[in-house]
Amino acid sequence: MNLDFTAEDEAFRAEARAWLNDNVPRGPRPTEGQAMRAFDLAWQRAQYDGGWAGVSWPTEYGGRGLELTQQLIWYEEYARSGAPEAALLFVGMNHAAPTIMARGNEAQKAFHLPKILKGEVAWSQGFSEPNNGSDLAGLTTKAVIDGDHLVVNGSKIWTSNAHLSDWQELLVRTDPAAPKHKGISWAICDMTLPGIELRPIMIMTAPGHHHFNQVFYTDVRIPLANVVGEINDGWSVAMSTLGFERGTASMSEQIRYGVVLEKLVDMARERLGEAALKYDEIGQRLAQLRAEHAAVRAMTYMIVSRSAGGGAMGSEASLMRAFFSQLQQRTRRIALDIIGSDSLELPDVDPWIRPYLRSFSTTIAAGTSEIQRNIIGERVLGLPR
Amino acid sequence: MNLLPNPEQVQILDAARSFLSAEAPVERLRPQHGQIGNHDARLWPELAELGFLGLGLAEAHGGVGLGLPEEILLYRELGRQLISPAILGLTLAALLAARSDDPALLNAIVSGEARIGLATPRGAVTLGPVSSGAFHLIEAREAAWAVAWTDDGAALFRTEDFGAAEDILCMDSHLTLERGRLEACEPAIWISAADGDLPRRAQVLIAAYATGLAEAARDMAADYAKIRQQFGKPIGSFQAVKHRCADMAILAEVAWCQTVFAAVMVQNGGPKATYHAGAAKLLATDAALKNAAQNIQVHGAFGFTADSDAHLYLKRAHVMDFLGGDLRSQKAALIGLAAAL
Ligand SMILES: Cc1cc2nc3c(=O)[nH]c(=O)nc-3n(C[C@H](O)[C@H](O)[C@H](O)COP(=O)(O)OP(=O)(O)OC[C@H]3O[C@@H](n4cnc5c(N)ncnc54)[C@H](O)[C@@H]3O)c2cc1C
Repeated sequence: MNLDFTAEDEAFRAEARAWLNDNVPRGPRPTEGQAMRAFDLAWQRAQYDGGWAGVSWPTEYGGRGLELTQQLIWYEEYARSGAPEAALLFVGMNHAAPTIMARGNEAQKAFHLPKILKGEVAWSQGFSEPNNGSDLAGLTTKAVIDGDHLVVNGSKIWTSNAHLSDWQELLVRTDPAAPKHKGISWAICDMTLPGIELRPIMIMTAPGHHHFNQVFYTDVRIPLANVVGEINDGWSVAMSTLGFERGTASMSEQIRYGVVLEKLVDMARERLGEAALKYDEIGQRLAQLRAEHAAVRAMTYMIVSRSAGGGAMGSEASLMRAFFSQLQQRTRRIALDIIGSDSLELPDVDPWIRPYLRSFSTTIAAGTSEIQRNIIGERVLGLPR
Repeated sequence: MNLLPNPEQVQILDAARSFLSAEAPVERLRPQHGQIGNHDARLWPELAELGFLGLGLAEAHGGVGLGLPEEILLYRELGRQLISPAILGLTLAALLAARSDDPALLNAIVSGEARIGLATPRGAVTLGPVSSGAFHLIEAREAAWAVAWTDDGAALFRTEDFGAAEDILCMDSHLTLERGRLEACEPAIWISAADGDLPRRAQVLIAAYATGLAEAARDMAADYAKIRQQFGKPIGSFQAVKHRCADMAILAEVAWCQTVFAAVMVQNGGPKATYHAGAAKLLATDAALKNAAQNIQVHGAFGFTADSDAHLYLKRAHVMDFLGGDLRSQKAALIGLAAAL
């Protein structure tokens, strides 16, 4: 057990800090639409050109081939610099790419991975369906093999940024007769294919905020060459993706939240005064949050340590996710108590109120907090189903 | 002692419920009807005809001659249907106009012609015969008047008293929101807390409205938990969901019982009313906020959309919570009072 970073680590940190200092985009990040897409792709491209896009990606795919420790250092410096999260690229960078690396064939790797890393493309995730959210394995979007194509019919929903994406990771049912986990395939879907239609869905953060979509597929022909892993083995492919999402994918967000909390402490000190910060209920809650965000950092370090030791990302990742998703909500909520009645305003530049409203999704997206707890109970503690 | 409504009160409740569910279904606030602003003021003349705008007003003033116990039954239904809180402006302005003998204004209110907004403090303000400070104006854009209140009393201002008010998008986007400021302004009507119980009435009416929000969120969650299926079962059969819904029922009951208790206390007058009104407001807005959040969670991703009504209850709960000014001072006021058991 130690917290020692090597001399190389420290040099890497200094290098990262200097680069971020010179290159982080200063203007506000557009929160939706083509403007957001252009912003995120350009920022990803800048990171790529600087040699920072894929710190822990293998060199053969354009990364630096470093350890998770360096990835962690990069995220820490990234958060400290106030760099914007290129959230549109989350699915590509944190689901699609790791899945293709782990389970894709050489052609799929050679074609997709560089495009993702260079910020040339955005991906979306077509998993959830109207009747299958928590019960993902029950999904019914159907794909029939016709020659060298899959022909897809059905619908996905809550597909974040489908309207801004070029590619999609799509789960389809290829064998309706098999047990539900055994008849699913994982396919790469080109979002420009004929037969794909989108219905925009507005979210609760502000009027007209388009974030996700219902996606309809009518006789969409996807080349069989785009299936990742074997036909009907898509559930295990998908689980490796969700493993990333619940494990290291959210590392950068976890680190970033520590900075969010410190901004809240500063805001409370400025608005309510030093005395309130020490003795008032708000100060007490902020102290609790500080401790909890310290633990998030410690838990992130633990995950990196376990993974460096070669351990697979197991069900323990659910402990982190269950804790962190609710902590995000508590953290966002206290902003309103500090700001007071001006919280009723939704200003154009809005560091607090939209993010507060947005935080209601943290206990729903990527597996609800109830489902996380079922996993903890059953797989970590071995409780009966 | 009996905290249940009597037959006449039950009639009022039924009338309010059937009118509002027919004329103001919550669907009117769905995105296809526009997400900014609302048209509830069109309901005022009809509500006036049914006697709802003068429920608590003496007959001599053109009212029905009832009181806070009847008004909370109405306000609970108003909350359930997410009616514009501008109606609170009407109720309070009617009381102000009655005390100051302004028959023209009274008539305009009781007939449903008047538009009255709410002015709620942004931080510390001075409210009194000479008033100053920064305010939010809620639902006042088309109103000639706005009502403000603090623990010190309640006042009616002309909306132009607030200077060139600045329009702002409200978190609850169905309500208009403006920033305004009073500079040593004399209100058209001022009644101190010593001379009248308006601040307490406002708190109890907010509590009733917020209880309606908490109940509507509870019912929406429970209804959905019965029909939404995952893993081949209604999600309400999973204890995690069932217990969440049960917690919502507990909070709504807590809120309503204290609101009824407070309404009777305030109506009867006496020294303990302030304590119970403060408790009711605190509990009911807390229930509304918590139930609204739980309802979103029970609905999964659908609850996070603008197509679902779930977010509307959350945002309205925040508005009701912030009415009347700083929450920390509201709590400080309650703990500063003598015990009233
Ligand atoms: C902001 C956001 C972005 C999203 N982006 C995407 C995306 O890009 N791609 C994609 O495929 N999906 C996406 N999702 C969907 C997300 O994965 C689902 O919302 C989630 O899996 C829950 O499914 P559901 O919404 O159908 O809720 P349901 O499964 O219907 O759940 C409703 C309620 O029942 C509870 N529940 C269900 N089953 C159980 C059980 N067994 N035990 C206890 N409680 C239970 C849930 O916890 C929840 O409270 C997104 C969701 C959000 C909110």
